Amino acid sequence: MASADTWRVGDGAGGAFQPYLDSLRQELQQRDPTLLSVAVAVLAVLLTLVFWKFIWSRKSSQRAVLFVGLCDSGKTLLFVRLLTGHYRDTQTSITDSSAAYKVNNNRGNSLTLIDLPGHESLRFQFLDRFKSSARAVVFVVDSATFQREVKDVAEFLYQVLIDSMGLKNTPSFLIACNKQDIAMAKSAKLIQQQLEKELNTLRVTRSAAPSTLDSSSTAPAQLGKKGKEFEFSQLPLKVEFLECSAKGGRGDAGTADIQDLEKWLAKIA
Amino acid sequence: MLDFFTIFSKGGLVLWCFQGVSDSCTGPVNALIRSVLLQERGGNNSFTHEALTLKYKLDNQFELVFVVGFQKILTLTYVDKLIDDVHRLFRDKYRTEIQQQSALSLLNGTFDFQNDFLRLLREAEESSKIRAPTTMKKFEDSEKSKKPVRSMIETRGEKTKEKTKNSKKKGAKKEGSDGPLATSKTAPAEKSGLPVGPENGELSKEELIRRKREEFIQKHGKGLDKSSKSTKSDAPKEKGKKAPRVWELGGCANKEVLDYSTPTTNGTPEAVLSEDINLIRGTGPGGQLQDLDCSSSDDEGATQNTKPSATKGTLGGMFGMLKGLVGSKSLSREDMESVLDKMRDHLIAKNVAADIAVQLCESVANKLEGKVMGTFSTVTSTVKQALQESLVQILQPQRRVDMLRDIMDAQRRQRPYVVTFCGVNGVGKSTNLAKISFWLLENGFSVLIAACDTFRAGAVEQLRTHTRRLTALHPPEKHGGRTMVQLFEKGYGKDAAGIAMEAIAFARNQGFDVVLVDTAGRMQDNAPLMTALAKLITVNTPDLVLFVGEALVGNEAVDQLVKFNRALADHSMVQTPRLIDGIVLTKFDTIDDKVGAAISMTYITSKPIVFVGTGQTYCDLRSLNAKAVVAALMKA
Repeated sequence: MASADTWRVGDGAGGAFQPYLDSLRQELQQRDPTLLSVAVAVLAVLLTLVFWKFIWSRKSSQRAVLFVGLCDSGKTLLFVRLLTGHYRDTQTSITDSSAAYKVNNNRGNSLTLIDLPGHESLRFQFLDRFKSSARAVVFVVDSATFQREVKDVAEFLYQVLIDSMGLKNTPSFLIACNKQDIAMAKSAKLIQQQLEKELNTLRVTRSAAPSTLDSSSTAPAQLGKKGKEFEFSQLPLKVEFLECSAKGGRGDAGTADIQDLEKWLAKIA
Repeated sequence: MLDFFTIFSKGGLVLWCFQGVSDSCTGPVNALIRSVLLQERGGNNSFTHEALTLKYKLDNQFELVFVVGFQKILTLTYVDKLIDDVHRLFRDKYRTEIQQQSALSLLNGTFDFQNDFLRLLREAEESSKIRAPTTMKKFEDSEKSKKPVRSMIETRGEKTKEKTKNSKKKGAKKEGSDGPLATSKTAPAEKSGLPVGPENGELSKEELIRRKREEFIQKHGKGLDKSSKSTKSDAPKEKGKKAPRVWELGGCANKEVLDYSTPTTNGTPEAVLSEDINLIRGTGPGGQLQDLDCSSSDDEGATQNTKPSATKGTLGGMFGMLKGLVGSKSLSREDMESVLDKMRDHLIAKNVAADIAVQLCESVANKLEGKVMGTFSTVTSTVKQALQESLVQILQPQRRVDMLRDIMDAQRRQRPYVVTFCGVNGVGKSTNLAKISFWLLENGFSVLIAACDTFRAGAVEQLRTHTRRLTALHPPEKHGGRTMVQLFEKGYGKDAAGIAMEAIAFARNQGFDVVLVDTAGRMQDNAPLMTALAKLITVNTPDLVLFVGEALVGNEAVDQLVKFNRALADHSMVQTPRLIDGIVLTKFDTIDDKVGAAISMTYITSKPIVFVGTGQTYCDLRSLNAKAVVAALMKA
């Protein structure tokens, strides 16, 4: 089949380069028929490789959904809830965990969920490792303690946004406002406003920060439009907000409120 | 006695948890993870959190963490052994669930470990209780007195078992004719499941020999089978060999049980023994445990078989070498020893403080022990990679360091943002203070410099000169007539804390955004001066305490930071004392690639390096790039 492909390619190109091809064919026929067969074989192998690589890069590398966020925002529990639906006790993650997730839409294709550790000293290391394979990024925010942690959330979000904008295929971006079961939890709308305000100031302070040690690194990418108040709609990637609750209302037995998240995952799959 | 025992995956899923008291174990365990495991302080395996002592063990092969917590005031001697026992049993019992890469199998697996754990705990507690009164052993109790009796019983048991064994293992035995036949004679009796005497050491030794022998035979057989295909007659022998393996592994379950009974039988009276036998009867023939053990010992053979094969036979050696190259194998501490030594020396050569280099290597070894290496990766590359990751992890700031953002916040609240600089003599406090004021001025914040070095001759004049230069660069005309930078000084010989306080009050009145407090340099051992510094910081509660340290410092860095931190803690008289919040690393341009001081300082304080001074001019202020530093550090 591969050799047939090559011939077809040769025929297609034949129209434009007829004289050259004729002379080439003559040359080849003069010498030795084995040379031609070798050339065809090599071409076939190359074509297969290119074809294979194309398929491989498209299929497998862009199926990951990354769960990022600060420590204690509920990434791991959300991950568990999506996979099994049950409640599980969790600790601070030291490393990533990944699992295949079957999306419940009619096409029934699957995604790889990857839960990244949220601790300060690990988050960027793991983000760097997995960001190239990201099809989507779910940024989990603890809505209950949001007011207190808004600066940290914004700073991490800023970095994640910059990183994902730098990627070749920009992933879909979701900000999941978790822990809505707690009474003091902020709504998604409020969180969006606060984050926009905070990212606006962050843009200023970031551009004013002293340059890093190796001066080779260029100026960081600008988030949003210059001279305008920052809004998520200015970004080249679509950022969505939704509310969810991984723990659910009544203690361990409660059912999670993650239907919106499941729907979103089905949409992007 | 135990407060809790929990087993969780490194991904953060709690697989099984035992709660002795009603308190939640999540808090202390998270504290352990954050302040020990993630800070590369994993040298020794215990940690104290409030009233609890936590001990932990890492299983790097399956990425599990075992943590036990108990009250600090108790000294429980059996805890280490308990962790080991639980680790072993858990690993063997749930091998299929925890082996998978995907977290799904962990989630779906049911880890009903309660009964096993309680049994192990009871045994461990009993063993420690029995050991407590150390009475002299009588001759009748000693192992020696039991020897002849035991051997008599054994010969009887041997005959029956030996027969079956011989018939099944004929082929194998022929091949491994140079195996230690003599020792094999006693082995079957032990496997028959009758623990006749309380001989812990001997038993395990025999067990070891038996297993090694088995392995050798397997290997030898395989080697012959694969490479030479010597004769046709080998084939039936191979088949015959399968059968004894099953039989032997059946015995393995008993071995496990015997192992568990060892703590109680260690030099104990006969009464405990009978209980043990009951115990064995209870669990021995139960099908489940045996099944799982089968797979486990199979796997052990697979993972271990590269090591002994190297010494035995050329064919086996070749095979082993190939396996070692291609197959995955788990790292042992001996494998890493030489590489780690080299790495440690390398780190020290790069100016990392010696004991920190040691601790780092220890922690990396802990993290890697038992880990299965990937195909075609050498020990050196694996260790190097792990070390590199650890270094990046250390240099990654633990708290947000966005000074400008915090100054904006302070500005909104109409109060000045106060920064205190401290450090030993001659590290460049005043110079870097001037650089930082320039950076702040460039960003449109007004700065008040408080000259609290009332000790060194010329200190105030130095700051005055800097102020004049900075004013020349940022004249009031450019900022709408507002004085951007001003010096607050009260001459020499006054109390520094008082001057700082006055300066802050002045700044509040005059509407300055930032107050930079320059303190006198002091050696970390000078108690009166350290007390004075602690007082200054306690009285004025600055927003940021920066420690200025030079990058040239080697082992001294540890001492400086530890003593500065301790002085601040000891003399503060408040519940939660202000410690150093960040580090300014100066003279970074003078050290080429010997950047070890950065690691030493962040490792001790786990505080970020906020600024790096790289030269004499006002613009020579940089922020740290963890990756660049680590790259310089790892460069040969």
